[in-house]
Amino acid sequence: MLKKGKTRMLSLALTAAMTVGCMAGCGSSSSSATATSAAASSTAAAGAASSASAGASATAGKLDTSKEVDLVMYVVSDRPAGQDVVDENLNKLLKEKLNCTLKINWIGWAEYANKYPLLFSSGEQFDMAYSATWLNFANLARKGAFKSLNDLWPTYAPDNFAMQSDAAKQQATIDGQYYCVPTLLSTYTAYGPMYRPDLAGSDWDGKMETFDDIEKYCDSVKAAHPEVEPIDMYSSGPETFLLWEENKGMEYVDNGARFMWYDTSAANPKVIASYDEPTVTDFLTMMDRWCQKGFWSMSALSDTDSTKTQNGKAALKIHNIDTWAGLTVQQPTWNFKYANMVKDVAHLPYTQDCMVISNTSQNPERAMALWNLLTTDQEVYDAFYYGVLGTTYTLNDSGQFTITDPNLYSTSAMWAVRTNKLNRNQAGVPEEYNTVRQDWESKIKAGQGAEKYTSFVFDSTNVTTELAACQNVEQQYWWPLALGYTDATSGLADYKAKMQAAGIDKVVAEAQKQLDAYVAAQGK
Amino acid sequence: MSRHFKSFSEEFKKHKALFAMAAPAFVLVLIMQYLPMTGLVLAFKSYRYDKGVFGSAWNGFENFRYLFSSGTGWLITKNTILYNLLNLFTSQLLAIIVAIMISEIHLKYFKKFTQSVILLPYFISWVVVGVFIFGLFNYETGMIDGIMKAAGQQPVNFYSTPAIWPVIICVFNSWKWVGYNSVIYIAAITGVDSEIHEAAAIDGATIFQRIKYITIPSIRPTIITMILLQVGRILRGDFEMFYQIVGNNGQLFNATDVIDTYVFRSLLQNADIGMTAAATFYQSVLCFVIIMIVNGIVKHIDADYALF
Repeated sequence: MLKKGKTRMLSLALTAAMTVGCMAGCGSSSSSATATSAAASSTAAAGAASSASAGASATAGKLDTSKEVDLVMYVVSDRPAGQDVVDENLNKLLKEKLNCTLKINWIGWAEYANKYPLLFSSGEQFDMAYSATWLNFANLARKGAFKSLNDLWPTYAPDNFAMQSDAAKQQATIDGQYYCVPTLLSTYTAYGPMYRPDLAGSDWDGKMETFDDIEKYCDSVKAAHPEVEPIDMYSSGPETFLLWEENKGMEYVDNGARFMWYDTSAANPKVIASYDEPTVTDFLTMMDRWCQKGFWSMSALSDTDSTKTQNGKAALKIHNIDTWAGLTVQQPTWNFKYANMVKDVAHLPYTQDCMVISNTSQNPERAMALWNLLTTDQEVYDAFYYGVLGTTYTLNDSGQFTITDPNLYSTSAMWAVRTNKLNRNQAGVPEEYNTVRQDWESKIKAGQGAEKYTSFVFDSTNVTTELAACQNVEQQYWWPLALGYTDATSGLADYKAKMQAAGIDKVVAEAQKQLDAYVAAQGK
Repeated sequence: MSRHFKSFSEEFKKHKALFAMAAPAFVLVLIMQYLPMTGLVLAFKSYRYDKGVFGSAWNGFENFRYLFSSGTGWLITKNTILYNLLNLFTSQLLAIIVAIMISEIHLKYFKKFTQSVILLPYFISWVVVGVFIFGLFNYETGMIDGIMKAAGQQPVNFYSTPAIWPVIICVFNSWKWVGYNSVIYIAAITGVDSEIHEAAAIDGATIFQRIKYITIPSIRPTIITMILLQVGRILRGDFEMFYQIVGNNGQLFNATDVIDTYVFRSLLQNADIGMTAAATFYQSVLCFVIIMIVNGIVKHIDADYALF
């Protein structure tokens, strides 16, 4: 009897202990989300009330700054140690110019994928947030995460509004409403290899214009420095096919769906899946050969080291010009070179960095006024973006900045605030960075070639299920195929079959429909 | 009904202090576990941020479609269950063996030292373990292939050999959890009356006989409770472990994909709260069914060992 009682007690105590353990572990994320959403409705109501009263003052024409307000902004990055110093300096300025203070909250890289969407469903009161195409700006806007800026933007940030291009405004429009303020800094679709000439052997001809040149360079590096991986590949997947397509003047339908392409030089472009691209076999044969030659690791997709090029473990990396500029500053003695291989360079969508006003914002007018100030006033911009002069950064005679201590503070993570006018170059970036970009800018003609399609935003609402399944197939079957791990012929057939099972035909049809509508609207 | 209520109120009066002590835990469970369950409705809704959890429109089973549309649903469900069964069996068995061995060590300091060393992996994050594993198994610079090359053998490309990964995952899972699980068994073994052991020793029982006839039967309730609790989580893949060990390596997915990693990968680009809620709903419901069945079976065999 006694023994039986004891075992029962023991199992019960254990059960209790384990339950609490499970609760602490698995319950936390879901519960916090729901618990706070209960509070959401009440704050949303309060927000609506305050914006109504503010609307009344807006009709008076001028922003009322008599009341001090505390604004809150969210950015995605890891919080730097020097943020407090930067805040103090900036808030002194803001207090004087706009009678407000700004608190910046950071969502770390480790948790942004989960935490960023929750920001808008938690009901937390905040005013501004960084957003971007890669943070799903359009999708979030469609689902009602942001405040419409139709009135706020022209009224409270008139200077910023006046500087925006038509393309940028069109990109900020979702379902007929402005939902974000895009960046005023031009960035380009240019993509290509950045590489170290010093690692190649004497047999290398120094040319870097085509895929064959990449192969010759890598052959040379492999022979001269067998300890270095010729091409930087890691778990984020291969960039080679993107470059291959853009090199031929093709563009992806959506940044998150790099398996559907269209020809930007055609009058009425046709959307095709990767496996239907006429040159896909040539590409796969080439990648198969590169893999056999050992241009990258056989285990690249499980390698999480993203710093191989900057640490000298890899010789060539395919990415954009800003990554190259970063490398030249980090390793000035290695003389990194850059070659753009995109045939028809266009602007990247301006929404690739943008600022949104949260649905829960209590002071959207002041937030917009602050944004206007940040994007037009050099003094405020410097204090916001670079921090404290002499403490976090220094300037040289030509106005280029140097970061004093990257561990203290580098630059703000609110990349959307940059403008062509106010942004400074980092000291040490080669002059080529400016000349090349000026060259691209001069060749871009609004509404022509690839530039014509920069405002096209794919709306995946009708094909969410199929798109999710395709994204999975892309990663499971295309990545190993494009890296030459699986057989070029049978692997391609397998990939095609899986893609079709996932419903790619429906996604392609939807993309075609939207692209046709876009072309028709542009023609008007 | 009224009789139940009466007996409850009598019980309450009789054990006021005990009820007071249980109250905080009860409230905590209510707030942290039961209230969030209302969020499950999200699985059947097309979520909008401005309309909130309850204001969003219903969309039937639309959110569940992506799990099953391309035929992966069955594969990942099967993988999740098989991995959990394998890991349950190996890690619990090892934990019992380790617990018995540790409790038979009589040098106090050596015992503590051994226990600490075995527990240590529990504190190492999967991120770090993932780097270890890459260091061991990668083709070019991996330690194992390095040894094989030095021995004149043909190196193995582990990252394109899916069949080997269930073993690797199982070994590392056991390595990480065995110390933690054994703590509970050690506690159970310590609770066994030492007089029984002494009596058995005097009667001439060898150490193996004592383990077989005294220790194991005494900790049987603990073993069953532990197993039942693990079975309750059988459809939850340990996301951290699978993601950090396998990473984005598509070649291994058919052998290593569990529900959690599949959902993560499909929805990373397009975080749809309704679709993720649908996956959780699917896991929770299946877990519930399985735990009810297993608990029912245990109850049928010996009601004392059942969880409830």
